[in-house]
Formats: sequence, C-alpha cells, structure tokens
Amino acid sequence: MSSRNKLLPLLSVLASLLLLFAFLRVLFFTPVEQTMGLVQKVFYFHMSAAWVGMLAFLAAAVFGLLYLSRRDMKWDTLTAASVEVGLLFTIICILSGMIWARPIWNTWWTWDPRLTTVTIMAFTYIAFILLRRGVDNPTRRARFSAVYAVIGFISVPLTFFSARLLRTIHPVVFGSGEADMNLNPQMLGTLFISLGAFTVLYAALLLHRSRLMAEQEALNQQLAADDSHYDWGE
Amino acid sequence: MKAWLHSVRVLVWKDLLQEWRSRDILTSMLAFAVLSLFIFNYALELSPINRAEIAPGVIWVVMVFAGTLGLNRSFTAEQDQGCFEGLMMAVPDLSAIYFAKLLTNLLMMVFLAVLVIPIYSLLYNQSLFNQAFFGVLILGAWGYSAAGTLIASMTVQTRMRDLLLPVLLFPLLLPVNMAVVKSCGVILGSVAGQDIHGWLNLLLVYDIVVTILSIMVFEYVIQE
Repeated sequence: MSSRNKLLPLLSVLASLLLLFAFLRVLFFTPVEQTMGLVQKVFYFHMSAAWVGMLAFLAAAVFGLLYLSRRDMKWDTLTAASVEVGLLFTIICILSGMIWARPIWNTWWTWDPRLTTVTIMAFTYIAFILLRRGVDNPTRRARFSAVYAVIGFISVPLTFFSARLLRTIHPVVFGSGEADMNLNPQMLGTLFISLGAFTVLYAALLLHRSRLMAEQEALNQQLAADDSHYDWGE
Repeated sequence: MKAWLHSVRVLVWKDLLQEWRSRDILTSMLAFAVLSLFIFNYALELSPINRAEIAPGVIWVVMVFAGTLGLNRSFTAEQDQGCFEGLMMAVPDLSAIYFAKLLTNLLMMVFLAVLVIPIYSLLYNQSLFNQAFFGVLILGAWGYSAAGTLIASMTVQTRMRDLLLPVLLFPLLLPVNMAVVKSCGVILGSVAGQDIHGWLNLLLVYDIVVTILSIMVFEYVIQE
C-alpha cells in the first residue's frame, strides 16, 4: 500500500496538469477545422474518451483472467474498478459524439453501426455492474465478474471494427486509406497529447477507485467482525 | 474423449427425457412464441407489403424472447434439487456439462423454429420454407445457446436469477442478431441482393469463439 500511496498523488497531479495542457492546446493552439468549424474541437476529447473506454475494458478482461489464475482479490477489485472507469469514459464518448453530431449530421442520434455498437458495449458493462450487485458471496462475485469481463470483451473489437468493416457514416481517423478527416500535423499533435492525458487520467482514476473499493471492503469486514462481538443485551 | 462424448449424450438424453415427461418449458415457449406473433401483428400493422421485409426480424425476435424462457430453466432443476455436485462428480470433464446444456438448449430452439416457421407461414400467408433461411436460424440459435448457456449458469446462482439473464445476455448477442436478421433478409429476398458472406462469416466466427471461450471459463462459474 505504501508504494501506491506515493504513486497516487503523483499520478493525480500529473493527470491534472496534462489534462489542463491538452485543454489549453485544443482551445488556443490548434487551428480551427475548415468545414466543421469550432465544434470539431470536441473530437480530441471524444476520441480520447473512446480510447480510454476500450483500454479500460481490455484491462478489465486481463485483470479478470489474472483473477481466475491467481485467485487474489486484488485483481477482482481492479477488474471492477476498470469497468467502472471505462463505462464513465464510454458515456463521455457517446455524449460528446452527440454534441458533435447535432451540427454536423443535423441530428443528436442516428442508427449507425458505430453508434449502435458502442452503446451496446456500454450496456454490456452496465450489465456487469448489475451482475456484481446480484451476488453476495465475494469470491463467487469475483469469479462471475472475471468471466463476464472476459466474455463481454467481445463487444470491444466489434465496436472498434464496426466503422471499418460495415457501411457507416462515422469518420475513421487512422488506417482508412482515404482520409475522412484531414488532420494537419498540429491537429495530430494535439490529438496525441489529448490521448496521453486521458490515458494518465485513466491510470489515476483506476488506482483511486480500486483503493477506495479495497478500503470499503476492509471496513465492511471490520464492521461485520465488530458486529459478531457485540453483545445484544440478551 | 469417448467418455466425454458418452457423458454429453447421457446428459442431453436426461434433459430431453425430463422435458418430455413434463413438457413444461416447450409448451410455455411455444405459447409465448405464438402469442408474440399475434402481438407483432397489431403492434407493427403487418400489411402484406411490409410483411416480407420484417419477417426475419419478427421470427428471430420471437425465438430470442421465447428462448430466454428455456435458458432460464436450463439449470434450475440442478440448482434447486442440489444435484450440481453429483453432476460435477459424474462427468470426466466439467466442459461436458456445458456442452450438454448447450446442445439441449440448441435442440429446443431448433424445435421451436420448426414449429414457429409453419405457423408464421400460415398466419401471414408468406412461405418461409427455405433451407438457407433455416440454416441461418440454426447458426443463430447455436450462438444464442452458446452465450445463453454460460450466462444462465451464472444467473441461476445470483440473487435476481431470471431478472438478470436478459440484461446480461442481450448485449452479448448483438453480432448474432445483426447477422441473422441481415442475412435472412437477403435470403428471403426482401433486401436487394447484397453479399451475405460477411454476415455469415461473422455468425460462424461468433459461434466458434463464444463456444470455445465458454468451455474454457465454464469451470470457474460452477466450481466453488
């Protein structure tokens, strides 16, 4: 715990600074896109949130596998924390995408494969949280969480490749051959800074959340132990 | 391998025999399916013109919803009677239990399709007797049962049981739903001749990946 205590403030400060830097750079030091105008700037955070969401779900699946092989509750806490943080960023991604879509596509929502798959991905991980609430026994909860984090991960590559394989109106930034979005070097630089800042933020939030979960669990156990010692005056 | 196959066969036989003696699940599934067809009729205003377009969607949704009734029941007998331990000791490998339950659920879905397709054809005056259509439905039912059996084995051990199954299962079924409905639309000729190989590949890959993944993780679900 002591090494984590030193790492955590450092990560938190670093994440805040990087986020501030990325924010300032997006607002003041990145050129305005010619056809879309100012609203295009939401894209830097939109894509970063999408990236962190998927990274978090990948991490959750890996933590789940680690739990299944090692049976250490530490990995279960990390699985659950990673899913929660990933879900938060996926929702940010969906909402920021809607803000962008309103002026560009002239609608908040459209039934495009990319939009549909990312929302179903969010539902998969909402179901994960419901599953955890439905199991009282901690080790059973840990086993089920790990299994569902692994199986649920199917939705992540599906979301990732949906804009590349299916007919979609969602822009593909990298590896599409034809450039849907022409990013000049300055914009690309901003994008990478934003991606980096969000990744550090993810690491900081993951550690905060898992530490909170672990302490909550420890407190619960202590309360349960105290309860059993308490003489109810019989 | 021989012992594994034998235990799968015995377990499937046991479940089918048990179902045949009570016929609880199949009758509920069938009644629910036919009822849904009637509900769809007035919910969607199925005129002869748009009927052809949405037939694959209606059939598949009816099967998926009726299928959850069967999935919910597929582990309750063992759970309620406390036979899980006995079952786990009886098989050479725990994956045999998963595979047997998968096959039972698949057979129930296929049986349901065999009954629902003529009923639909009769009620809506549109022939759905098409081998390719039936083949895609079976592939879809396989993916559905593969994911559903694993999820059901978890939800039966939770506090919320039946409530949780669709919430956990339906998001995972998105590729199956898309692939079945899109490719059946092309097969039945309601959507102009697109290439359906991509959809069939997706369906096949999903079926195989989910089955293998489930076999690998199943022991963690049922073993304390």
